[in-house]
This record gives sequence, C-alpha cells and structure tokens, in this order.
Amino acid sequence: MPNKNGSVYGLTILSPIIDDDKATPSHDLQIRDYLAHLSTREESPFARAPGTHLARLVVMDDVIYVGAPSCEEHLKSKYLIFESNCDGNLDTYLSGLASAIPDHLDAVWKHCVGYPGAANQQAFIDYMKACQLETTFFFAAVNDKTVTETLCALRTQTAVADFIAAHQGVDPATLQREFIEFVAHLRSQPLPRPGSMGPHRDIKTGGRNE
Amino acid sequence: MSNINGKVYAMNAVTPMKPWKTWILRTIFFVLGHVKPLQNDLINLSFIEFARWVVVPRRSFPFLGNGQSKEELNYDYLLFFSNFNGTWNQYIDAFSAVLSKGLNLIWRWSEKFPGSVPVTIFKEYIARVQFDTDYYYTAYPHATANDIKSAHIVQSSTDSLYLAAEEYTPEQFADAYLRFVLQVQAHLGETGEAPLAG
Repeated sequence: MPNKNGSVYGLTILSPIIDDDKATPSHDLQIRDYLAHLSTREESPFARAPGTHLARLVVMDDVIYVGAPSCEEHLKSKYLIFESNCDGNLDTYLSGLASAIPDHLDAVWKHCVGYPGAANQQAFIDYMKACQLETTFFFAAVNDKTVTETLCALRTQTAVADFIAAHQGVDPATLQREFIEFVAHLRSQPLPRPGSMGPHRDIKTGGRNE
Repeated sequence: MSNINGKVYAMNAVTPMKPWKTWILRTIFFVLGHVKPLQNDLINLSFIEFARWVVVPRRSFPFLGNGQSKEELNYDYLLFFSNFNGTWNQYIDAFSAVLSKGLNLIWRWSEKFPGSVPVTIFKEYIARVQFDTDYYYTAYPHATANDIKSAHIVQSSTDSLYLAAEEYTPEQFADAYLRFVLQVQAHLGETGEAPLAG
C-alpha cells in the first residue's frame, strides 16, 4: 500500500476551508494566524501527541498557472494540507491526536468544511479519512523505527561518543563495569522529549580548518 | 511561517498534468515502488528523511458538501512533499546533478516542465510551483537523515554489547569493546544546531 513504507505511514489530508464572504479575517487567514503563533519545538501539539516523526500544515490558496500553452484554471475552495509521517496504524494515530490535542485540532480545523470536532473521536477519524488522499509513492530513509526508538537512538549516539572519549586507556575490568553501569543508567533515563534540539553541547572550535 | 525547522526543510510543489498522462506516471511509480534497486540514487543521496508524490485526479479533490462547491478542473495535479536536510539550492542542485533522469521521468508529464538540466531553468520552475509551509514540526530537529541512520547503528551495537557484557571475562570484554568501537566510530557525529551559512 503506497501510504505505508515499512512501519511508517504517509498521511496526506486536504481539508476544504470554509469560504465565507462575511468572515473577517477570512478562514484561511485565521488558520495561518493560529499556526504562526504555535510552537514548533517541545511545546508543539505534535510533540504532545504520540507518533509524529515530521508533519506540516500548508494553506493551498489555489493551483498555480505555469504559463501558456497550458490553460489557466482555479480552485473553488482553498485547502488545508496536512502532511504527516507517522508511526503505524492510521486509526491509532488519529485517535491519539484527538485524545492528546483536541483543542489545537479544533482551533485549526474549525475553519474547514464539515469538521465535526475532535470530541467525537470516531466522527473525527471518519472526517479525516474523507479528506485523505492516497499517496502514489512514499519514500522513507528509515522505515522501521518509531519516533521513540529514534529519539532514544539519538540520545545513545551522543552518550556513547562521550563514553568512548572518557574511557580511553581504562583497564578491562573497570571498562566492563562502567559500560554496564552506563547502559543501565541510560536506559533508566526518561524518554527524550520530541521536538527538542537535545542537550546543549558547545561546538568544538579550533584546528587547521578554521 | 517557515519552511525550515532545525536541520530539515519542507518543500511543497504542485504541478498540473493532462489527465491521460497521469496513468503513465502512476505506472512509473508502481515500477519504482516494486523494483527497489531503482530507488538507490534516492537512498544514496541520503539527505531526504521522507518524501512523497501524490497524484490527485481532477475529480478527486475532497468534496464534503455543506456548501462547498465541487471542483471543475481540466488538469490532474501532482503534489510533491519533501523533508530534506540542507538548503533549497543544495537540494535542487543535488537532485539535478544526481537524479536528472529520474526527475525528468517523474515531472516530464507536468505542464511546462523544462527538464531538470540546465539547473537554472529547473529552479525557476520549482520556485514557481512551490507553496510555502505554514507550520512545520519535526520530532528531532537537531538530526539529519544520516544522523538518524547512524544513531540506529550505534543503538544496535550498544544493545548487543550490553546483552553479552555480563558473560564476558574482563579480557574478553576488552576485545568485544574494541570491536564495538570499530563498528560505531564512523557513526558518532555530533548532532545539534546547524552551522549558519555566511
């Protein structure tokens, strides 16, 4: 199924935006205004909901005229594009969004035609599926890891680099004991927060390339 | 509004196609999806985290009633969404240099597509059909596609050594640790803020 690549799901949704001459500002501008003030880091709604690797929201005003001899045409509705690269099962992902961030979903999608609200999860899932487009071709560089697995792996990568640097020339018995303690400690740490830039690390400077 | 979050750039491109041509494109994507070696260039470019193409037939734009007018279009549309590392110019340059045949095969069915070489005209076309991103989120803004691939290699090697570590004598562990370091040493690159282009 082209919507999936390995265990990653490529969700593409086009939700028609309400066209109301009396709305001031227009509904598409209200969506843009709301999104402009939304955090894209740890406080992002998508960081609070489970399973999103990367996601974007785009207001598509119209299709683009590429010039003669093609014919010029226009959309009758503006559309909100929701593109998400997420873990696993679509129903589980959408219900996870509806449970974790209903207020944000409602604040954005209330400007779209026929949106039922996130409070009724089944109606929300049905609505999203009614707006879903089938992906024709989906590429994922890493297609068999969850968000949590990737965040843990990135943390391990940094910690292992530090461990190796700090344990050069250490005798075998100490190395063995401290490696076991190191991994056990790493595993006991809370899960890394999605959307974070990670711990601040000073960039090493100097050397012949500067 | 930003197309960039940390080390990732979100590109959105929408191009019109004559409906009879979309079936050719669907066939090409079907073959590309089922013959994995054809994806090698895309994999080897190694700075694309996720990318997708979506063909929207002219009568298949979502229609929900409730006062919405039904679209009356002459063209089908090809939507392209990419999440890549690096700058817009680097991305288009690399695409044009490495994947020019593949790109031509995909976009030649779109109206007015000029070809991916020479790159200047190709860039003008992409800039014309691109939409800016209103909101862009990534769970790991500090990491590139290569960082993620490397991190999973380090994780897997670390887990394997940890599982066996208790069973080893210190001398056996020292040998296993040396092999571990050899396995992971090329995958320990630093993640964090992207360098600023001057």
